[in-house]
Amino acid sequence: MHPATPLAVVSQPTRDHRTAEAPYKLRRGLVAALILPLVLGMAACGGDDESSSPPADSNAPVELSIFYWGGEARAKMTDQALALYKSKNPNVSFKATWQANTGYFDKLATLTAGGDPPDIFQMDDNYLTEYAQRNVTADLTEYTKNGQLDLAKFPKSMVEYGTVDGKLAGVALGENTMGLVYNKTLVTKHGLQEPQTGWTWDQLITWAADLSTKTGGTIAGTQDPSADYKAFWVWIRQQGKDLYKGKELGFTAEDLAKWFELWKGARDKKATPTPDVIHEGNASDITKQLVVTGKAATSWVWVNQMPELKKNTKDELGVCAYPGDPSAQWGRASMYFSVFRNSSKKDAAVKFINWLVNDPEAVKILGTDRGLPSNLDLRTQFAQTVTDPAMKQSIEVENALAAKFGTAPQVPPKGHSTFRSELVKAAENVQFGRATPQKAAEDLLAVVKPKLG
Amino acid sequence: MALTTAESPAVRATETAGIPTKRRGSRRSSRREGIAGYVFLSPWLLGLMGITAIPMLLSLYLSFTSYDVLTPWNEVEWIGLENYRRMFTSDLSYWHSVQVTVMFALIAVPLKLAAALGVALLLNRERRGVGLFRGFFYLPSLIGGSVALAIVWVAMFNRDGAFNGFLHLFGIEGKPWVNDPDWALETLMVLAIWQFGAPMVIFLAGLKQVPIELYEAAAVDGAGRWRQFWSVTLPMLSPVIFFNLVLETINGFQGFTAAFVLSNGTGGPIDSTLMYTLNLYIKGFTEYEMGYASAMAWVFLIAIALITAVFFSTGRFWVHYSDGDDR
Repeated sequence: MHPATPLAVVSQPTRDHRTAEAPYKLRRGLVAALILPLVLGMAACGGDDESSSPPADSNAPVELSIFYWGGEARAKMTDQALALYKSKNPNVSFKATWQANTGYFDKLATLTAGGDPPDIFQMDDNYLTEYAQRNVTADLTEYTKNGQLDLAKFPKSMVEYGTVDGKLAGVALGENTMGLVYNKTLVTKHGLQEPQTGWTWDQLITWAADLSTKTGGTIAGTQDPSADYKAFWVWIRQQGKDLYKGKELGFTAEDLAKWFELWKGARDKKATPTPDVIHEGNASDITKQLVVTGKAATSWVWVNQMPELKKNTKDELGVCAYPGDPSAQWGRASMYFSVFRNSSKKDAAVKFINWLVNDPEAVKILGTDRGLPSNLDLRTQFAQTVTDPAMKQSIEVENALAAKFGTAPQVPPKGHSTFRSELVKAAENVQFGRATPQKAAEDLLAVVKPKLG
Repeated sequence: MALTTAESPAVRATETAGIPTKRRGSRRSSRREGIAGYVFLSPWLLGLMGITAIPMLLSLYLSFTSYDVLTPWNEVEWIGLENYRRMFTSDLSYWHSVQVTVMFALIAVPLKLAAALGVALLLNRERRGVGLFRGFFYLPSLIGGSVALAIVWVAMFNRDGAFNGFLHLFGIEGKPWVNDPDWALETLMVLAIWQFGAPMVIFLAGLKQVPIELYEAAAVDGAGRWRQFWSVTLPMLSPVIFFNLVLETINGFQGFTAAFVLSNGTGGPIDSTLMYTLNLYIKGFTEYEMGYASAMAWVFLIAIALITAVFFSTGRFWVHYSDGDDR
C-alpha cells in the first residue's frame, strides 16, 4: 500500500475522522455485498455432489419432486395416483410438474445443470443412455437386491431395457409397441378394407393410394413415415438388420436409400400427402398427427397413444401393427421413471415408484396411458376390468401382437437423438426433391456416425 | 483503495497549503455522491455481475471444454480450441446457419427500416386521427417477439392459411409458405418487417426535430418535395437512421423466437429457418454440446461487435450531427 494513504487519513482533523473512514467502510461493505451473492451463486452452480445420507426415519415428512411429459389426460391420472399415495403415506408430499414432450428434455437438462433436478423424472429410450452414462440417474440395482424395488413380475425384457452398462437406470412404467393407427370412419365410408397386421409394405401403399383416389386427393391414404425412426427401425429389422449394433449403426447407406426409395414410390402413386403436409405430421406432438388433423388416413404412432389421439378427433380410430412381418416389432418400455443420483430422498422415491408399478389400485388409475402395466399379474387383472374403450383397444392390440413379438433390440446408444433429427432432415430433403435417396442417406451417415458412442 | 491512493497527494497538498475546507468538502461530498450512485446502481450492478457477467465468463471457459450440461461443469474436460476448430472447419450445419442468418439480416433489416421510415413520413403530417394511426402501426411491435404471434403466423401462412385464402380471391394458387423450405425463411422475414413500429416511432421523433425553417428555405430555393426529402430530411435524420440501423441489425442477427416456434425448435423444414441462435440452442440443449454452443456464442458476440464497429467507423462519412462541430 502506498504510504501516502495512512498519512492522508491521519492528517484529517479528528472531527472529520468518522466521515473520512466511512466511505472506505462503505466501499468495503459494498464489495462484500457484491461478492457474496456471486460466491453463493457459484456454490449453487457447483451442485450438491455429496449425496447426503438418507433420513433414517421413514416416517419423517418428505417432499418428492416429480417431472414428466404428457398431455392433460396423463396429468389427471398421475395426480390421482399421487393423491392416493399421499393418503396412504401422509408423511409424503409431492411437487409434480409436467409439460408437453416438446422442450421437456431441454428443461430437464437445464434443471440438471442448475444442480436442481427433480427427485423423480420421466425418461425414454432416446435419452436414457445419455443420462445414465453421465451418472445423472441413480443405479437402482441395490434396491432390487434388498427388496425395496420389486421387479419380479416384470417381463425380463422390460428390466433389461432399463439397464445401461449393467446399471438399472430406470423403472419401466409400461410396455408398448408401434401401432399403425387409421381413421376407421373414413376407411369404411369409402368401402375399403381396414389395414391388417401382416400386410406387406406394398399392400399398404397400394391400399393408401386407393384411398387417396377415393377421397379425390383431399385426404392422403397414409402419412409418409420415411422420417420416422421407429417405422424405419421395424423395416430394417425385417431386412435382417438392426438400427444399432453395439455403439455403431447396424445398417448401410444403401439400406437407408432403399427405405427412401420405397416411400418415393409411394409418393409417386399419391399414397402420401404433399411434402409440406408430411412435414407438419413429422412433429412429435400427438395433436399434429395427420390422422387426427384429418390430412391423412393413417399415422405411425405408439399403441399407448391411442387414448390421447382419440381425444383429438371425432372419428373412430383403429390400430394394427406396422406392415411386414410383425415379429420385427418388440415390446418396448414406453417410458421410465428414473431417480436423480444425488437426491437425498432416494429411498422415499424408490418406495413410491415401487408402489406405482406394483399396487393394483395405482395400476388401475394409470391404466395404459404410459403403456401396458409392466407388472404382468396386474396387467392381466387390469385387462379384465378395464372399461375405457380406447384403453381396451390398446390392450387387445398389444396382447394380440405380444404373441408375435421378436426379441427386443438393445437400448439405443448416445447420439440416438441426433440420428432421429438427421433422419427427418434427410427424409425431407428427398421429399422436397433436394437430394436423391442415395445422397441423403450418405449425408446422414456422415453426420451421425461420429456422434454415436 | 486505488482511488484514495491516487488522490492522497492532492489532499496533502491542500492541507499543507492551508486552503479553506470548502474544496475538500465538495470533493468529499462528490465522493459521497459517487457512493450513493453505486448504491442506487447496485440492483442493476448485482444483476449484471450475477446474471450476466459471471455466466458469460463461465461460458468463455466452457467454450474450451467438452461440457455436456449433464456433467457438473467443474468436472469437464479441457479441450483447448477444438470447439472453435470444429466450428470453422468441419461443421456444415454451422456455416449453413451463418448463411441463413446473414440472408435474414441482409433482407429483413433494410426492408424493415424502409417500411418504418416510409410510414413515419406519412404519419408525420398533422391530420385528424393521426395519433390513432400511429398507435395502430405501433401495435405489432408491442406483441412483437411473442410466441403467440409466431403461432398465429404459422396458422396464417400454411397451405390452408388465411393468406392463401386471400390469394385465392385473385385466383392465385398459394404455397405452403411456412412448411416449404424455399419460403419458410421469407415468411419469417415478413414477420420481422411487419414489426416496424419501434423504429417508426423513433423516426417520427426524429422527423419532429427537423427545423421547419430548413424546409421553408429549401422551398424558397425552389426545391421540390423529393429534393427536400433528399437534401433536408435524410441528412437531418441520419443520426436516427444510424441508431435504428445498428439496433435493428443486432436484433436481426439475434432472431430466435419466431424461428423456434415456426419450426418446433428444429430449424426446419430442412434447416431452412436454422438461425444462428436457434442452431446454438439446439447444439446446447437438445444435443447437449454446451461447450460447443458456448464457443458458438462467443464467436457470435465477436461477430456482432465487429459489425457494429464497422457501422460506427463508416458512420462518420454519412451521419450528420447538426448541433455538433464537424470533426
